[in-house]
Amino acid sequence: MKNRCVPLRCTHPTKMPEYQPVLLAQVGKAESHTLRAYEQAGGYQALKKSLKEKTPKEVTEIVKASGLRGRGGAGFPTGLKWTFLPQNHPGPIYFCLNADESEPGTFNNRVLMEEDPHQVIEGLILSCYATNATTAYFYMRAEYPLAWQRMQRAVDECYAAGYLGKNILGSPYSLDIFLHRGAGAYICGEETGLIESLEGKRAWPRIKPPFPAVEGAFRKPTVVNNVETVACVRHIMDRGADWFKSIGVPPDPANPRDAGSYGPKLYCISGHINKPGCYEAPLGLTVTELIDRFGGGVWKNRKAKAAIPGGISMGLLTADEFHCPLDFNGPGKFGCLGLGTAAVVVMDEQTSMVDFLLNSCRFFSHESCGQCTPCREGTSWATKMMLRIKAGRGRLKDLDLLAEIGDTIGIMPGTTICGLADGAAWPIKNCIKKFRPELEAHIKRTNPSGWGETKAVPAMELVGIH
Amino acid sequence: MPTVIVNGIEVAIGEKERLNGIQAAERAGVEIPSYCWHPGLSVVASCRMCLVEAGKKDEKTGKIAMQPRLVPACQTPATDGTIFVTNSEKVKNSRAMVEEDLLLRHPVDCPICDKAGECNLQDFHFEYGQKERRADIKPFTSRRRSLGDTVTLFVDRCVMCSRCVRFTREISGTSELMVINRGAQEEIDVFRNDAGEIQFPLDNKLSGNVVDLCPVGALGDKDFLYKQRVWFMRSHDGVCANCSTGCSIKVEENQDRIYRLKPRENPHVNQWWMCDEGRYGWKHVHDSRRVTQLRRREKTGYAPLDWSRFAGELDQKLRQTGRLAAVVSPNLTVEEAYLLSTYIREIDSDALLAVGPVPVEGTDEKFPNGFTIHAEKCPNRKGVEAIVSRLSGGLLNWDDFLARVESEPVGAVWLTGGYHQPWNDTAIAEKFSGVKTLIVQDCFASPLWDRADYQIPAATFAEREGSYVNAKDRLQSFRWAIRPPAGVLTEGQLYWQLLKRPGLYRAAEVLQAVAREITYFTAAMEGVPEHGIDLKVNQLAEPTKTPAIVA
Amino acid sequence: MPAAKVLTPEMIDAIKAYFPRYPSRQAVTLPALHIVNDKLRYVPRQAVIEIAELLGLAPAQVQDTLTFYGYFKQDQPHGRCRLWVCRSISCALRGADELLDHLSHTLGVSPGATTPDGRVTLEYAECLGACEHAPCMLADNLLVKSVSPQQADQFVKALP
Repeated sequence: MKNRCVPLRCTHPTKMPEYQPVLLAQVGKAESHTLRAYEQAGGYQALKKSLKEKTPKEVTEIVKASGLRGRGGAGFPTGLKWTFLPQNHPGPIYFCLNADESEPGTFNNRVLMEEDPHQVIEGLILSCYATNATTAYFYMRAEYPLAWQRMQRAVDECYAAGYLGKNILGSPYSLDIFLHRGAGAYICGEETGLIESLEGKRAWPRIKPPFPAVEGAFRKPTVVNNVETVACVRHIMDRGADWFKSIGVPPDPANPRDAGSYGPKLYCISGHINKPGCYEAPLGLTVTELIDRFGGGVWKNRKAKAAIPGGISMGLLTADEFHCPLDFNGPGKFGCLGLGTAAVVVMDEQTSMVDFLLNSCRFFSHESCGQCTPCREGTSWATKMMLRIKAGRGRLKDLDLLAEIGDTIGIMPGTTICGLADGAAWPIKNCIKKFRPELEAHIKRTNPSGWGETKAVPAMELVGIH
Repeated sequence: MPTVIVNGIEVAIGEKERLNGIQAAERAGVEIPSYCWHPGLSVVASCRMCLVEAGKKDEKTGKIAMQPRLVPACQTPATDGTIFVTNSEKVKNSRAMVEEDLLLRHPVDCPICDKAGECNLQDFHFEYGQKERRADIKPFTSRRRSLGDTVTLFVDRCVMCSRCVRFTREISGTSELMVINRGAQEEIDVFRNDAGEIQFPLDNKLSGNVVDLCPVGALGDKDFLYKQRVWFMRSHDGVCANCSTGCSIKVEENQDRIYRLKPRENPHVNQWWMCDEGRYGWKHVHDSRRVTQLRRREKTGYAPLDWSRFAGELDQKLRQTGRLAAVVSPNLTVEEAYLLSTYIREIDSDALLAVGPVPVEGTDEKFPNGFTIHAEKCPNRKGVEAIVSRLSGGLLNWDDFLARVESEPVGAVWLTGGYHQPWNDTAIAEKFSGVKTLIVQDCFASPLWDRADYQIPAATFAEREGSYVNAKDRLQSFRWAIRPPAGVLTEGQLYWQLLKRPGLYRAAEVLQAVAREITYFTAAMEGVPEHGIDLKVNQLAEPTKTPAIVA
Repeated sequence: MPAAKVLTPEMIDAIKAYFPRYPSRQAVTLPALHIVNDKLRYVPRQAVIEIAELLGLAPAQVQDTLTFYGYFKQDQPHGRCRLWVCRSISCALRGADELLDHLSHTLGVSPGATTPDGRVTLEYAECLGACEHAPCMLADNLLVKSVSPQQADQFVKALP
């Protein structure tokens, strides 16, 4: 990981103090995952201070004031989420750390957990303290064996050092952290899907209300937060809310509901670029800047054709749209679902959009939990159509049907229980809108006799898809 | 009074009622379709068929604020000021989408599916579906696999509403059913061994309810499978006669032949459920061994009798025979028990009235939600006991009666049966050897029947009209569902004739008389509503086992 | 004849060690499945029955959860090495589909199946979260990064 310095406010690139990475500061240093190295670099000071000097409510207020928004994909203001917990609850209150990171293109949580697990733990302890949680379940996906190993070791080190367990550092606060291993399902990254999976059932997300803050894991008040989010909490408690707010993009004055895009962000960039990796910069970096300054430019001297802005669920940007700022508002202005996980995947000019769309549809139909009708059937139908199109049996009408699926499934029209359907719909929606000519040309070229068919045609078997 | 507005129609909701959008709309006469919602199960809102537009009307300003997204009506509480819109374009399109989605992979094998005619998928497609099939089509599989002894699954018809799984987890508490796999691969199944054979079948005592719950033809009742088309059957409200729970049921028949029983909703008795014993407990009605001929014993054997002359002959006989006794079966209705007892006591004011044997099997079985299968396997012990004790001034049970009939001189004994298990043996029949005239009114032959001087074929529960009182003192009334086999006159009709009442037997009239005469039944005086009536409602104290003599 | 027990005393102890962590035993379902899977390389249906008994659940409840995840094989153990090849977008853009096809060819099995000698089970995986090393594969606990078809062949050849 390189420590790249980037202007603090990307809207004014000319005269800026240089940005020093904070989340990735220790990454790349020897033994960065050990307690010794972490403490040497100033770790657990924030925890010590906060336990001694601040009440849980005060910590929550600071996090609220910082403008921190969840880094898991939804971007909900973290401090505000914490205030949804019932006041004066007899407990127990549970904290679930969402380390199920499965959004295609995203790997920043993995980097944090492998290279600087204590940062995550300190942030987690602070977050649990703020929310009066007494048990934290660290839900980590099964496919992160190194992160699991290092995180478990870090947790053990913390227990030995008195940072976890009963009466942490002599304070009245006690906390247990238990690692809980997933088993390969994307939907366990959805907060109520995670809770159901934690409880030992199939990960069918729950209907809301009731919200997890009121009735979550084991029917008790529960907070679910992302790994990067709690890592930010550690730094907010270290350097203050004002510091956090000095980074990123303030709210759009024209939009009273904009909560701003404050703080540093870990950007993942992968795909057809020279230097795929995880880089830290203030929120608001554009796709172009990410590709050029960090990603080493498009590979093989080619031009870019399209990019995913924030994990595949967010949809697609054309190369003309790469000036899109990667903050909570930017991608929405370009027809994408949102910032998501800020995981950019670049596609070069030789990429077939049919392949892209098939890959996307295949992913979502494989991962759909199957509980609600529009998602279960819509994603499966879309995949079947894409298979036919890829196999040279597509019709132009399929694009109309796909566009309709893209417009009608999801939590935004209110048709589904969770947002997986939105994630499935947006790539379809964007791809057809922005690359329709290419898709039509493919269909006509590969199915010269049947592209004009309007009656229903036989589907293909989903062999090898599931 | 809280008011909810559905498509502009105002509906009043009770202060204490907790209704959702579907229920509120029902009150307004508006149907909101759904597959996964059921009032007796947890809300999952997964089928998404009930999506509607909802909003709130401000009480003071009258301003209406509609939610920007569609919401499932099943999980939206209908509170004061809630507005539901179910007929907008948005809602119609959403329903059409869900319906289309469900049909994408559905085999649409209605011609060979039992559910046709009572299928949500059919009905909702007709009402709310797309006009043309736009989806990929492929040769469909219509796989079938057994889930247990009584229920079979047509895998590809399933719409994943999960009602059946929720039932086994929440109501029966046995959790035999599960969902396997993920996404569009999901199927319902039971736990199987490595060879694919069922290892833990669906076999709890409430299993049959999952077939009622299934909104499509995925779950099939093996007993009913392919036997009858639903549109040929007529449905009659009835009461199960298998035990003293007294579940409200529907008897479904075609041309006087029963094809199945189904539970009927009754919030006071069985909610929406019935047990398998009751559900399949109608086979005796059409059993070929049923006795259907009225006969009198002659020296050389039995001679058939004519019903038209029977009442007169029997009446004469009874008046000349001396001491009378009647055994009133707990399978008889309140009205029949009353008429028979009245008739016998009218002839002989000293006649013995006894309650027939009360069959008890095991102990009461209670399920997690409160549903109980009672150990007492007859429908009307309480009703019969109340009649007998009032009209005879005491409560003579079967064992005591047998002792008396052996030791005292009795001229004629009229025994009523109607049990579907054997209820007497040769030893018991022996005890009646001293009785001059033995009258047995029953459905099946037995040692007693074989000794009878008059063999009167009797009706089963589906052929009679009247009332039963269940274990919780709830009286429920019902009409007959099928006509008895040729040769059988129902008890009610016979006793009515014997008492020389004019016209046809009318149970309701009899019940009124019973309610007037016997305090226990007073609550039934003004008529009996659909879900029955709690007889305890007018009592000051719980009725004791031996009802006190009432003036 | 009752089936032979599959859970060893060590496994049972390991599962029970999880009980204090959660307020409900059902929450120990995934940990229990992993304990058995790590040891046996699959979770036979008999194990599901025994786990259910330990957790106070019906076998159908545990089986329900198990089949939701594509993670646990049930008919026979997976190979000594379980090779997951990522097929999500970042890896697909860098040749993952071709890599999977190639490996399938090399090993002579389709994804999900195990080589006859029991060495390798080839699987496809959705985003392994190592997109900066695309195309990548996860060989049990080892992440194999930026792997070409030839490198994959070499890797597989070197497996015990």
